[in-house]
Amino acid sequence: MEQPRRITDSFPRRRRRGPGRPPGRLKGRKDKDKDKDKDKVQLKVRDCPRAASQPPPDPALMEMLRRFDLSWEYGPCAGITRLQRWERAQELGLSPPGPIRDALLEHRDNPDVTYRWVWDGMGW
Amino acid sequence: MFSEQAAPTAQGLLAPPAGEPPTFPRVAVGGYSDCSQPFQLGERSFSRQYAHIYAVRLAGMRPRLERRARGRWGDDIALRRLSELQEGEKCCVVGTLFKAMQLQPSILQEISEEHNLVPQPPLPKYIQPCDELMLEDELQRIKLEGAIDVQRLVTGTIVAVLGCEQDDGRFLVEDHCFADVPPPLPWSGPSSDRFVLLASGLGLGSVSGEALLSTQLLVDVVTGQLGAEGEQSCAAHITRVILAGNLLSQNTQSRDTINKAKYLTKKTQAASVEAVKMLDEILLQLCTSVPVDVMPGEFDPTNYTLPQQPLHRCMLPLASAYATLRLVTNPYQASLDGVRFLGTSGQNISDIFKYSSMDDYLEILEWTLLAGHISPTAPDTLGCYPFYKSDPFILTECPHVYFCGNAPRFQSKLLQGKEGQRVLLVTVPDFSATQTACLVNLRDLSCQPITFSSFGADSED
Repeated sequence: MEQPRRITDSFPRRRRRGPGRPPGRLKGRKDKDKDKDKDKVQLKVRDCPRAASQPPPDPALMEMLRRFDLSWEYGPCAGITRLQRWERAQELGLSPPGPIRDALLEHRDNPDVTYRWVWDGMGW
Repeated sequence: MFSEQAAPTAQGLLAPPAGEPPTFPRVAVGGYSDCSQPFQLGERSFSRQYAHIYAVRLAGMRPRLERRARGRWGDDIALRRLSELQEGEKCCVVGTLFKAMQLQPSILQEISEEHNLVPQPPLPKYIQPCDELMLEDELQRIKLEGAIDVQRLVTGTIVAVLGCEQDDGRFLVEDHCFADVPPPLPWSGPSSDRFVLLASGLGLGSVSGEALLSTQLLVDVVTGQLGAEGEQSCAAHITRVILAGNLLSQNTQSRDTINKAKYLTKKTQAASVEAVKMLDEILLQLCTSVPVDVMPGEFDPTNYTLPQQPLHRCMLPLASAYATLRLVTNPYQASLDGVRFLGTSGQNISDIFKYSSMDDYLEILEWTLLAGHISPTAPDTLGCYPFYKSDPFILTECPHVYFCGNAPRFQSKLLQGKEGQRVLLVTVPDFSATQTACLVNLRDLSCQPITFSSFGADSED
């Protein structure tokens, strides 16, 4: 007989912050929370585009992608996928860095990678 | 074309019928290729903002403008971005123009009902002496003053300005230049007389049926059922008919179903249904005889934003059975017999007319060619699809015939460019108002109007 389940099990678990850290979304934590959540609840979840078995992307990679988003030379980043933006920059002759494209194709099914970094209103 | 060749044979109309009536086969269709793929939208997504189209427009036209600036003001001119400007240094900046107009209709003013303000009525022109021009590049913007005509220019044009920044933060312009006429296309036109008929603004479905007789006369002339042998032999040289928009009249756009009560409008049919049936019958007569290209216009049942997609063939069941009917986009680009045609139904020119001091449609048409962009005011004041990858309205090659439909009157001009470009600029008049269509001769790029006037009830003789 498994452990008794609570309704709060379906909510994402948050790590406790250390003292002195500002409130806000902890980058990188979100991936681990989702994985933990899947283990606990055995409901029929919607097919998540990122399979639980795939490792979460490297924070250094996410940082590089974020810098690619915010560099103004390649045009606006809102509303299009990063791969579309990279290809547009390539066609306009702005020579975007090649490793970014390789990383985008490698993690094609990860929505955190393909779409631009979303500002969710909570600062850090 | 018709008068000088037809006159000698006019006597033939009074002769008894000949045993074997002469036939005039229509000249064979030369090469035709449709070049409007950039204007055809596949899957459409409106979840993007318009910043992308401005960014690609600037990035796409910047190299050409930098070359023009160097050619005009010397190779050693300093090309700077706005963020690198030094006060007092003479340099050249490439950017997008923005004109701040007080009278520009704004959606925010329209929804300010709580202030009990009446929304601004539509005006013929929205320019005012106090309008200001600003130059924007990827990051910053700066106010322009000096040798630049604020009233004439419109938002969205890519321009290169030469001048220096003042200490009050404005840029004093000494000279400015546009992208100029695009590079020429090789000429491979026909060696004999071939004509293309350009007509626009048929205006079917309008309340008055006066233009219907003129439309029928036009169809009869093109299909060779009008006139003596001279006219028929001339009509056999027409290889194509292009209908440049506004096939339906503005009256078919009534918003009765929204304004009136439901019980009044329940059984009524939209006026455009009857008008499209009439259009189908007219196109059927034309298509049996000559290839026809139908472009949608402002009042036609297709999408509102540029580029307008072709009319759907299910609306024209009789005419779409023929392969000679081609439903095309607005703007339309095609290569007919080696001659490149590019044209719109006139929304771009009339929008520039509203926001600029230029009054002449031909002058505006020429200006868009010199600015290197079909419709710079899109998407600011003219609806446009949010492109993100490339701006298809940038002129990359110089067409041989550049036309716009629904102009107030017929005008044409042969423009010679510096690199050997030869462009025939044609403003096709509104047929329902002027009963005039244009015949373009592909051999020597000449154009003449042809008017179908009839004696109405209120004419003198």
